[in-house]
Amino acid sequence: MNQFTFESRHKTILLAFMGLGVLCLLLTFFMDAQPAHARFWSNFLHNTVFFTGIAFISLFVIAVFINAYAGWYVLFKRVWEAYSAFLIPGLVMLGILMIGIWTNSHHLYHWADEEAVQADPILLQKSSFLNKYWYTFGTLIIVGAWIFFRQRLRALSLAEDMLGSTGDFSYHRRQKVVAAVFLPIGAFTSAAMIWQWVMSVDAHWYSTLYAWYATASWFVACLALTILMVAWLKSKGYMTQVTENHLHDLGKYMFAFSIFWTYLWFSQFMLIWYANVGEETIYFHVRREHFPVMFYGNLFLNFLLPFLILMRNDNKRKYGTMILTSLFVFFGHWWDYFLMIKPGVLETTNHLGGHGEATEHLTDAAHQGAEHGEHMVDAAHAAVSHGSDFVSGFTLPGFLELGTMLGFLAFFLFVVFRQFEKASLTPPHDPYLEESIHHHV
Amino acid sequence: MKDHNTDVLYGLYDDEQDLLKAVKQANDQHLEIMDVFSPFPVHGLDPLLGLAESRLHIAGFIYGTIGCLFGFGFMTWVFTRDWPIIFGGKPYFSAPAFIPITFELTVLFASVGMVVTFYTICGLWPGVKNPTLDDRITDDKFCIAFDATAAAEGEVDKLRGFLSSSGASEINMKTI
Repeated sequence: MNQFTFESRHKTILLAFMGLGVLCLLLTFFMDAQPAHARFWSNFLHNTVFFTGIAFISLFVIAVFINAYAGWYVLFKRVWEAYSAFLIPGLVMLGILMIGIWTNSHHLYHWADEEAVQADPILLQKSSFLNKYWYTFGTLIIVGAWIFFRQRLRALSLAEDMLGSTGDFSYHRRQKVVAAVFLPIGAFTSAAMIWQWVMSVDAHWYSTLYAWYATASWFVACLALTILMVAWLKSKGYMTQVTENHLHDLGKYMFAFSIFWTYLWFSQFMLIWYANVGEETIYFHVRREHFPVMFYGNLFLNFLLPFLILMRNDNKRKYGTMILTSLFVFFGHWWDYFLMIKPGVLETTNHLGGHGEATEHLTDAAHQGAEHGEHMVDAAHAAVSHGSDFVSGFTLPGFLELGTMLGFLAFFLFVVFRQFEKASLTPPHDPYLEESIHHHV
Repeated sequence: MKDHNTDVLYGLYDDEQDLLKAVKQANDQHLEIMDVFSPFPVHGLDPLLGLAESRLHIAGFIYGTIGCLFGFGFMTWVFTRDWPIIFGGKPYFSAPAFIPITFELTVLFASVGMVVTFYTICGLWPGVKNPTLDDRITDDKFCIAFDATAAAEGEVDKLRGFLSSSGASEINMKTI
């Protein structure tokens, strides 16, 4: 079976989960103990960036493989093509975040607060990059460019299907050119986007390795989701030509990139820990002191588990083991992004709630009504003055966070399945199709 | 290496696809192949010859674990017991600082250990005499060899017949 049918049963299930996601978002919006709906906005940012990143990486992987003369992935390249379609809804959701900045609806980013920036020499120096114009137009132009390259590659790939036979390589050559042009652009711009979307949550802090680290996290998540998708499609009777040899190579990729992620994580940690400069160590200090479960759990889920499970050859060829590991690792990198975003947002929010630079935010608080204002101060006091510093939705992912994630995942899969419907699951005239069918490890 | 001499009947093939086909035919005819030689690893040959998966990686894992524990343990001992020095205001026991060296020692132990194990198993050491059937099997020829030491005349003829019928470009007998 090469033609995917999006069964109505699956549509119903996915729509139900999307409904659950919307419900969780609404609950976090209205029942939030934090000021400025910080829990809602940070969840929204977290999942938007995570799933848009997976879409970006799948586009990047196709571009790399086309230019590396790789053949083995051709049988399931439509999976990555479909994943990359999520860039479009991703840009729409980033648009909501931009509107949030322009209308001052959220306080995810300390640098978006103009009064605070004027009073803060560090933020003032960074303000030529960290400002709402860069955030808005940078994102629109850069993600727009990604979408442009994605649409070109997809169109050429689909046009290739329409050929009568495999002898004509002109479409493949054109794909190669598009992919080659995209590679440097994608590589540099993704770093800028990660600084803007994620790293600037800790507006005072910066790390040169951060973009690599966050991209590696996307990469592993994308591979885990690919393994799960291929296994699911096989179980439904599609992709019969995909064998455990393809699974083995995907497993090797997941193993290698899990270690690569760990390497970057450690490189970043080690240099900051050793240099012992206060303005840099604050990032890890906050996470280790106030988010210990997240901090060590991150290393356990994303390094120890995949490292020990995927080390053996045999394990990478077993569907059960691979599915279980992929589930852990996919969740693990979602967890990783949670840990990147939430502590910074919480700190910005605490400032807002009457700590530190309280006077600067008095005007903001006044706008929100007296009753709500008291509530905010109470919540922030509760977070700091009591012995325990547990903040629901921040210290650990709660049920609402998990529900939001499932909602976004269902949305992602919905878009992906709609893409599957539009073309044959196996590209019939890709020049490397034969090589992929006979792929043997 | 064996003390006694072995009579080896071998055929040379020009192409690895011919070699694979010939090995399949030999399996079908239940001929006992002594060994197969090729200038490069031929894909799909191992399962045809019924070779078990190498256990070298298990040895590698054990060496790596030893290297890891040794590196970490040694540094811990040096910096907490033997010669405690404060570096950069860090505590004596600074695990993050030990990790790069622990990693390097893990790789070193695993790789050197595997090389030594591999050489020992294969009986390779300096000065070893390693007779080759034909120099061209390290260049562009593929070879199937049969042990003909104890074979009767009829059997040797049968083996010759097999080699020529399966496409060997050259058939020789050699005592090594």
